[in-house]
Amino acid sequence: MNPFLKPALVAFASVVLSAAQAASVTPGVTDREIVVGTISDLSGPIALLGVPVRDGMLMRFDEANAGGGVHGRRIRLVVEDSGYDPKRAVLAARKLVQRDQAFAFIADMGTPVVMASMPVIVDAGRLHLFPFSPHESTYLPLHPLKFQNFAPYQTYMEAATRHMVQAHDYRRSCLLYQDDDYGLEVMKGVEAALGKLGRPLVEKTSYKRGATDLSSQIARLRGADCDFVVLATVVRETVAAMSEARRIGWKADMLVTASGYSAQTHELGGAAVEGLYGVSVLPHPYAEGANRQLADWIQRYRTRFNADPNVWSVMGYTLADMFVRTAEAAGPQLTIDRFARTLEHMSFTRDYFGSPEYRFSPTDHLGNRYGRLAQIRNGKWELISDYLK
Amino acid sequence: MLAAAQVLISGVALGCVYGLVALSFVLIYKATETVSFMQGELLMTGAFGALGLHLGAGWPLGAAALAAVAGVALLGAVFERAALRRAVGRPHLVAVLLTFGLGLMLRGAVASVPAAAQETYRLPVAIDVVQLGPLTLAAGQLLVIGATVLIAVVLALFFRTTRVGLALRALSEDARIAALMGVPVARMHTLAWALGAGLAALAGLLLAPITFIHLNMGLIALKAFPAAVLGGLTSLPGALAAGIFLGVAEALAGLALPEGVKDVVPYVLLMLGLLLFPRGFGAGAAGAGR
Repeated sequence: MNPFLKPALVAFASVVLSAAQAASVTPGVTDREIVVGTISDLSGPIALLGVPVRDGMLMRFDEANAGGGVHGRRIRLVVEDSGYDPKRAVLAARKLVQRDQAFAFIADMGTPVVMASMPVIVDAGRLHLFPFSPHESTYLPLHPLKFQNFAPYQTYMEAATRHMVQAHDYRRSCLLYQDDDYGLEVMKGVEAALGKLGRPLVEKTSYKRGATDLSSQIARLRGADCDFVVLATVVRETVAAMSEARRIGWKADMLVTASGYSAQTHELGGAAVEGLYGVSVLPHPYAEGANRQLADWIQRYRTRFNADPNVWSVMGYTLADMFVRTAEAAGPQLTIDRFARTLEHMSFTRDYFGSPEYRFSPTDHLGNRYGRLAQIRNGKWELISDYLK
Repeated sequence: MLAAAQVLISGVALGCVYGLVALSFVLIYKATETVSFMQGELLMTGAFGALGLHLGAGWPLGAAALAAVAGVALLGAVFERAALRRAVGRPHLVAVLLTFGLGLMLRGAVASVPAAAQETYRLPVAIDVVQLGPLTLAAGQLLVIGATVLIAVVLALFFRTTRVGLALRALSEDARIAALMGVPVARMHTLAWALGAGLAALAGLLLAPITFIHLNMGLIALKAFPAAVLGGLTSLPGALAAGIFLGVAEALAGLALPEGVKDVVPYVLLMLGLLLFPRGFGAGAAGAGR
């Protein structure tokens, strides 16, 4: 026998054996740690959301680890930056699946990113949890690995528009929308709400993403004599639209989607955005008037990151918290399937952040469908309704 | 009617910013025959520079603005000395890719400051409202229009009356003959890049009161480039006029035309303009000139 053959055979056999062993254990889970991946945007157009979400998650996972971990396992969050670029997102997903062996993906950020990377993740058999993409395909059709916390804009905006029009008896509702999927999604919700009330959408006008000046759009809406304008805008355009309207002395009521519900809106807009209505899916954590637990949380966040938390930090913290509690409930023998089946029976009651109740079931993987109304009063968002069913 | 007048003035103000960025394209192109794809990034860097000096270091706004424009102009000169100079005489693509890469580096540098990457800012300048008869105007828009007129006058004087301005013009007519006449070509190239960069930074500062300061504000260069082309790429007054024209066309189309049509209008006008004025506004109607 060739003297080299025997060691080679032994080596080969041991490789095969260890590969078979690796396949039988849960990826990303050892006796000492659980690896969780997230594909965020830390440098691209929505980095202003990605960074606080990451920080919120880090804070919750660190707290869990400081308390001895989940059944003795530390949670390690591996963050990849996609820069909101689907190509980089796919590479990041592969890296997290293959090299880091991520047990679950949590809070992946941005619809184009999620649409590109979700198949890679789900095909590899990993959990796809609570992405920041209000797109139906993140929870429908029902899939054993996909769970979502945020409903499509359409759902929130239908309820919010219906509620506003009924409460204020607006006759001439209008829409200013971003000319992309986000804007169209909101439009569907607004049209559905007005359809149910038997009222028309009097005027609608769009802008391109990144537009700098909305004066012609506002002049057009004013020309149509709107008394209520739904804004499918993000922060900058919300401020631009309100400033332009108030500048020319037009006082129509405006309602912005959850994308405009941000402290930046009143920080940038000042007096011009006073009275703006908004849809909130989680309250902004204002230090002033906070309950004791929240004030304590804000203090911890500030100490840790040297920045004020915002609604995105709260979301990151909440999502990480849901992960930790589900992993705890799943017991010490953690597998992907056991985690998913446990999550299907979890319900998370309302907490000190003022969050809605999140509840999953074997037939429904969307945790919450309800938003609530808020209004900017005296330079900050004030909640003016409970979650609208 | 009143609405149309309001929108018209907004359009003129935004068009002035398009025009200024287009000017910076043309200034560089004329002197060096290079199309710079980093003007948007220079604009953004200028605005953030002023913001950083004002809010971060506590400088008075005027000094911060001046320093930012001067700093970006210096940056343009450094880029020319260090890198762009080496692209002269090479295929056009080399310089284009070089400017593109430098732009990416600038963007990366600004984005590496967390406060810049994550937030949107407003410069505390000209945020009041001015009542002009029945019109309500934003002071920011008037500031932009006034500053643009001023810059146009200063540039015209510079190119007509100063030795350096004349030398730059000579260079853009025929670099070889200009060199034979004793124009220091290399130094003039540095100057052209510095001027182009400084002008972009200035446009960024003027854009700040109309919109906000954020990482993607340089996207406005995408609109300014058609203006530069429409103006003929070699005519400074043409670039300015084309910028204002595009701004106004865009604003009025949004007001008057059916939903969905307005976004096409600037580009239809651009094509029409190129058909009717193939050498750009600056050269007059088709066939005129040569």
